[in-house]
Amino acid sequence: MDEGEGVADARDPAADARDPAADLRDPGAELAAVVAMRRLADRMEDAAVEKAMRAGWSWSDVAQALGVTRQAVHKKHAKRLIEAGVSLRRRR
Amino acid sequence: MGRTYVDSVLVRAAEEARGRGARLTEAEHLLLALAAEAEGDAPDLLSPAGLDRRAVERALAREFEDGLAAAGVSVADRELLEPRGSARNPSDMGESGRRVLEVAMTLARKRDLGPAHILLGLLELKVGTVPRAFALAGVDVDDLKARTLAVLDERGKTD
Repeated sequence: MDEGEGVADARDPAADARDPAADLRDPGAELAAVVAMRRLADRMEDAAVEKAMRAGWSWSDVAQALGVTRQAVHKKHAKRLIEAGVSLRRRR
Repeated sequence: MGRTYVDSVLVRAAEEARGRGARLTEAEHLLLALAAEAEGDAPDLLSPAGLDRRAVERALAREFEDGLAAAGVSVADRELLEPRGSARNPSDMGESGRRVLEVAMTLARKRDLGPAHILLGLLELKVGTVPRAFALAGVDVDDLKARTLAVLDERGKTD
């Protein structure tokens, strides 16, 4: 179908969107899979961090286990956990 | 003059984004905001296409699971598939939301923009969550687009 390399001949992305069952060679499906996994990872992180903090883990412990800085995990989760009524350990 | 319709729909879309834990306001949040409207062009156009609020939520959930399935991921804990609110407001409008507004803005001046313009912007999207969700839900996008254009025509869309 695609004769030559012209940009004008590029496949219409809409054709892919119409066929969501298309396999991962379709960049639209591949990117959607990335979005879905990222969202799932975010939700898993929220749930797991909350569980750890309720179990009395420190921010440092959570940060070490997640492989991020303590500041990053605090910034990302502190407000939500406080609003959820989780009592957080003061330091360490 | 009070706030325009666009201002109000953007605020409601940002609330939808926050309610789903999204960092950016995206096209799907505009769609959710439209589908939550009780009267006017939004329900008049969306309902015959089978897109009430619940149906839109279901379509988005299905798109999410379809993405996971494409990656070979299955989730044992169904609760992880449920949208979860965030304590933070979205920081910005994502590219998909911008595209919707760009299309809408080509059709009318800002203060004249209504739900049908936003909907047309959503229907013109070629990639991303919204067209995928429409496809998975079996929405006849072309028919919905034709009906939306007819409504805009009736309204006498410019000047």
